[in-house]
Amino acid sequence: MWVASRELATRWCVANSRQALSLVLDKISTLVWCLIQPMTFKNMAKKLLGDPINRVDGALKATGRARYSADIKRPGMLHGVLVMSTIANGKITAIDTADALKVPGVVNVMSHQNAPKLAGMDKNKPSEIATDRVLHVFQDDLVHYNNQPIAMVLAETLEQATEGASLVRVTYQTQPVKLPLPAGKADMSTPKQMPRVDDQVDTKRGDLAAGLAAAINRMEETYTTPTMNHNALEPHALLAYWEGDKLTMYNATQGISGCQKRVAEIFGMPKENVRVITQFLGGGFGSKGTTFSHVMLAPMAAKLTGKPVRLVLKREQMFGMVGNRSATVQRLNLATGKDGKLLATAHHSITQTSDFDEFAEPAGTITRMLYACPNLDTTHKFIRANIGTPAPMRAPGEAPGVFALESAIDEMAAQLRMDPLAFRLANYAETDPNKDKPFSSKSLRECYRQGAERFGWSKRPAQPRSLKNGNYLRGMGMATTVYPMNRGESTALVRLKPDGTVQVETATQDLGTGTFTIMTQIAAEVFGLSPDQVTLSAGDSIYPTSSVSGGSRNTASTGSAVTQAAQEVLKKARQMALKDPKSPLFNVAEAEIVVQKGGQLQQKSNPKVGEALTSLLKRNGNKPLEATVQSKQGDEKGKYSMNAFGAVFAEVEVDELLGEVRVTRLLGSFAAGRIVNLKTARSQVLGGMVWAVSMALHEKTVFDPRNNRVMNANLAEYHVPVNADIQEIDGFFIEEADDIVNPAGVKGIGEIGVVGTVSAIANAIYHATGRRFRDLPITVDKVLA
Amino acid sequence: MIAADFNYEAPTSLDEAFTLLRKYGDEAKILSGGHSLIPMMKLRFASPECIIDINNIPGLSDITREGDIMKIGALVREAQVEHAAELLEHFPIFADVTKLIADPQVRNMGTVGGNLAHGDAANDHPAVMMALRASVVIAGADGTRVVPIDEFFFGFYSTAIQPDEILTEIQIPMPSPYTGSAYHKLERKVGDYATAGVAVQLTIDANGICTYAGIGLTNVNPLPMRAARSEEALVGKKITDETIAEAARYASDDCNPSADLRGDVEYKRAMVGVLTKRMIHKAAQRAVA
Amino acid sequence: MKQITVTVNGQPHSAEVEPRLLLVHLIRENLNLTGTHIGCDTSSCGACTVLLDGKSVKSCTVLAVQANGKSVSTVEGLCAPGAALNPLQEGFKENHGLHCGFCTPGMMMRATELLEHNPDPTEDEIRWGISGNLCRCTGYNNIVKAILYAGAKMRGEEPASTEPQFV
Repeated sequence: MWVASRELATRWCVANSRQALSLVLDKISTLVWCLIQPMTFKNMAKKLLGDPINRVDGALKATGRARYSADIKRPGMLHGVLVMSTIANGKITAIDTADALKVPGVVNVMSHQNAPKLAGMDKNKPSEIATDRVLHVFQDDLVHYNNQPIAMVLAETLEQATEGASLVRVTYQTQPVKLPLPAGKADMSTPKQMPRVDDQVDTKRGDLAAGLAAAINRMEETYTTPTMNHNALEPHALLAYWEGDKLTMYNATQGISGCQKRVAEIFGMPKENVRVITQFLGGGFGSKGTTFSHVMLAPMAAKLTGKPVRLVLKREQMFGMVGNRSATVQRLNLATGKDGKLLATAHHSITQTSDFDEFAEPAGTITRMLYACPNLDTTHKFIRANIGTPAPMRAPGEAPGVFALESAIDEMAAQLRMDPLAFRLANYAETDPNKDKPFSSKSLRECYRQGAERFGWSKRPAQPRSLKNGNYLRGMGMATTVYPMNRGESTALVRLKPDGTVQVETATQDLGTGTFTIMTQIAAEVFGLSPDQVTLSAGDSIYPTSSVSGGSRNTASTGSAVTQAAQEVLKKARQMALKDPKSPLFNVAEAEIVVQKGGQLQQKSNPKVGEALTSLLKRNGNKPLEATVQSKQGDEKGKYSMNAFGAVFAEVEVDELLGEVRVTRLLGSFAAGRIVNLKTARSQVLGGMVWAVSMALHEKTVFDPRNNRVMNANLAEYHVPVNADIQEIDGFFIEEADDIVNPAGVKGIGEIGVVGTVSAIANAIYHATGRRFRDLPITVDKVLA
Repeated sequence: MIAADFNYEAPTSLDEAFTLLRKYGDEAKILSGGHSLIPMMKLRFASPECIIDINNIPGLSDITREGDIMKIGALVREAQVEHAAELLEHFPIFADVTKLIADPQVRNMGTVGGNLAHGDAANDHPAVMMALRASVVIAGADGTRVVPIDEFFFGFYSTAIQPDEILTEIQIPMPSPYTGSAYHKLERKVGDYATAGVAVQLTIDANGICTYAGIGLTNVNPLPMRAARSEEALVGKKITDETIAEAARYASDDCNPSADLRGDVEYKRAMVGVLTKRMIHKAAQRAVA
Repeated sequence: MKQITVTVNGQPHSAEVEPRLLLVHLIRENLNLTGTHIGCDTSSCGACTVLLDGKSVKSCTVLAVQANGKSVSTVEGLCAPGAALNPLQEGFKENHGLHCGFCTPGMMMRATELLEHNPDPTEDEIRWGISGNLCRCTGYNNIVKAILYAGAKMRGEEPASTEPQFV
């Protein structure tokens, strides 16, 4: 079995440590290593696409018994309702709460006039984490954006608090409004850093001017994408209460451990005094990854009133204070020589941030590495606007950036009269041209091949406007998709009990992706057990610290911690067996002891010799074996470029007279390392692809140019597809062994479904209509214009 | 979101309802399906002092044919229309329109009467009723009156219904043989309000001459709008590509859309033209089928 | 205040409520049935869908007083605690028709009525039938599969495989 082979491989590398393994691997290529260990590779291949087991929380969620943060109650709890600013820039000159306080049941109105002062709130001292946001927590009278929280009414019922909030009267002194993109481009500046701090802001490779000069074909176009909002189905919610100086929060967060740290930092208290619990999370997509203002406001109100406080955001309040995807204006230059190879690439991105904080949407980072090109410039600039600070939103940077890049690539292919897929293959990057490092693994060719075959790409006529279906023009398009392997620090405790069951403890949250299931599955595999023999204790900061669920990193991070802790326990069991005179495995070399299905230890060369883990433990004091491992990235990051790749194919139909576009077929092929669970993984990429349909055709946050008020701050006017908007979608995985990326052998799958799919759809619309759409979303009015 | 406080009354007879209406006057609002009223109250765009829920009043929930008139009670739900065999047989336009109104849950609550009484040109039934030349029965303490649909809409959220009256029924004249009807609206995604919508009913005689044309437009005019010139362009003539094009051009010219998130004025006019053509075609096909 | 009696999942409940109390808050706050979720507040997302006298409605847009004398079914009523899942619940679980699970109760309540009217729906009928329910996670395919699975089970037929099927 796969995990056992991994154990073997590790021991073969002399020491059971990640560093030793990567040292050895550094010297011999993965391929050679596989030849030396043919059995290992064969066994691994079997498990590269993991069992499609059902999610462990399926029954709880299907019966309505899963508890989300807004479901939690405490005796004496108050309901908080926020009052939001109605101007975008200025100062609060007065807050009149008299009428609100007269409403029966209203207990208090918190604002900057009476809010507790926060010891750790220092705007001049940036947080240790780049993506932590500057918060608006009633410490001053300044308004930086429309729909900023400025007061909070606290009452015994939600109805009373809502009534009170409607009666709070605020007067302002207003300042001129700084508009978001596409206006306000005059005031551009260079970001200090990218959200992934290792990414450079600007890069240069070779000599762009020389590359352009030498080229035969050139293209230059500008691509624009709008501001978007995450709109997870569950509104942000929390319940906070104090017991002495200890704070407990049931909070809808994608990062329990990060939230705990941040809240402690702002309140100026030890992190041990903050407990964050997220039993179940109703999606997040990045908007619950960083700790936003409302997370502080509930505990502040709880302190002010001495009572537990529940705060649930209204949908309209989710358009501003909890992040957004920055609008982008991207200029792409491509130039090719006579063989169709790229000679020059330039990608200049303008994005937007708030006027009080920095978040730079990293739109150009993928362009640096996706294709082989000797001469390349990429830059990032942003403007400052009176809006809430942007935040990572499912594939931040990659989604808008690759829409621009892969549209430009398609345009160049058309100019060259080359098949778009053939053009991509002609510029295939064998090594990462940005980092000048080998890929830990890259199966993109296989993704292209299998994807094209299953989709029927060969049936695509080269000429646009060649396919019809009744009133509809039909078109086919494709794009490359990619997502970097991110890995954070996670700690897990694994405990093997004498009854043969396993307990895993780690703080991690499951934002819906299936994390709880995957962690269970990973631990079970190490011991040859079935997932129902594993209990996961998670969703609570009392367990060991874990990574954020963002940037497709949690399986790589927490999954690696669980893998390593479980392997550590297994190692202890092996050593216990070989030292135990009563064990059939007494004095058998440690390397000879493997684990088999059912939790059986066995001598590898003589499978008849062995015993169950349960009997071993019972004989040895009947006590559990446990290990806690803190897992983080090693030096492999300096040596390799690690990314998931894929190819996405789209078929669309366009009613040219009505402008209606329907995506009739989407197919994605993905290579993302080991897939732990085929069922949850496939669903993740399908969900990502629907996000791409949404981004390509529907989503756009619209600002009123007078005051930056969001004009469509609800799900009736902010459009995301419903079921009837979606037709055939499929996604599959290429088997890919990667022993370098991380102990779990996985790359992320949460975002890769979105990235290339947006431009695959845009390219298909081009193929249907013969017209390019470079401004998202591609709505009916644009198709007709 | 929570509404401002209000009194709630649920009368069990029309008379009881009229008494309440007299008591509260302008400050009362009638609740039928509630799917326009309750959202407006939650947003606090409306804060009536009293809600009069008419759902407990018997006799308002039926679709019945009486001679040459098809009657739709004020409390008939959209979902009921979807399954009303006789209505759909004579007026296939109702199968077109109900599928496009919001979503199944909303159609379980929302009523045809409420869709009209709300007085919103973005709603779909006003245009349909114009195409069908329906009338609206309005009841008050002093009796009932029948108002032709063309005299029903007064302004934004304003209709012929007086503060002490209730819409109780919609009456649709049964069509002559060889009549067909059709509706479509352009929506940005499933369940959206119309960017533009067109309702058409046509009667075509044995000689292929159009003897009746009703054309109503959705959400492209401050008030629900009859495309009168388009109708005239068809009646007495054969339905040909030329007459259709002429009718479509008039509809496009005569409507008065406003620019909003759904598109600019010219775009909406163009869409009215395309939809008018397609719905005339579809209605004509159904008329001769 | 109004005195109302509402039968929820077969149990009559009496309460004195403000007329402005929404049905969804009656269910969640007064009766502690938190399986019914609030997603959008504008009757757009369908997370709050319950059955009112057997018809699926968005309980964020129904007043609690409107439910007086009526029966309400919520996700908690689909199967008794500890009992086997009903075919729809099983379908969602087996087909991975849920990720975060926030839309799931509303989806299932809507699908309950859909299958009652149309026991053997086509894929297209399902997509339109649940067009009032938003899901931001799954990509919808597995939700359609879940409802097809439940339909087959309710008809006494063998449901299609729940393994991922690739083209």
